[in-house]
Amino acid sequence: MRASDLIGREVVGADGARIGVITDLRCIQDGPLRGTQAALRVDSLLVSRHHTGSVLGYDRERQRGPWVIGALVRFLHRSMHVVPWSAVEDEGPPVRLRPGPRITS
Amino acid sequence: MSEKPHGRVFDLSLHLLDRQVLDRDGRMVCKVDDLEFERGADGSLYVAAILVGQRALSHRIGGRLGVWIRSIAQRLSTDDVPRIDFAQEDDIGSAIKLGASRDSLGVAPLEDWVREHIVSRVPGSRHESE
Repeated sequence: MRASDLIGREVVGADGARIGVITDLRCIQDGPLRGTQAALRVDSLLVSRHHTGSVLGYDRERQRGPWVIGALVRFLHRSMHVVPWSAVEDEGPPVRLRPGPRITS
Repeated sequence: MSEKPHGRVFDLSLHLLDRQVLDRDGRMVCKVDDLEFERGADGSLYVAAILVGQRALSHRIGGRLGVWIRSIAQRLSTDDVPRIDFAQEDDIGSAIKLGASRDSLGVAPLEDWVREHIVSRVPGSRHESE
């Protein structure tokens, strides 16, 4: 599987209701040693209902920059969810989540 | 409150895709056209390789343009999509730094062939001391 297989893929809840589209894959470098570094593990999906573009890091507190761009990106991704990989039941397409707390905007 | 992760956090599209890859000597190798995952024993996905070249990029672009790029790229080469094992990765910053030499990676065979057979024969192409 490739990153491009998942980015852009639709995400639905356990009931089949559409949640949004994967805009990015958040990874943590805490996997088993691969070469000299820990492997990058896919930790969560960034899922946006309204827009498929990148959030350019503006969902993070430490990301500073032109506030106009930040405000625009935050508006376009106002309904963005961070879905843990452990919540994925079927990689699809579409990606189907396990039954659990309902994801809302 | 969510627990703070122990490792560095990267968003693949933001921090890795399309980034420049440099070898151990700081020479440019390629761009990250796509990333390949492998599945761990616990079901987690781990980044396994950097995919390089027009065929990798065409898969990412998708649509008619992607099919068009892929059909041309397949005529030029029937080999597998060039890849760099992520074990070669040394550091991720504004560029992806590798611990290996560009010459040992073999991700740009056409460029290597042109350098070896054409450019190296051009007078003045080598350093004065060589």
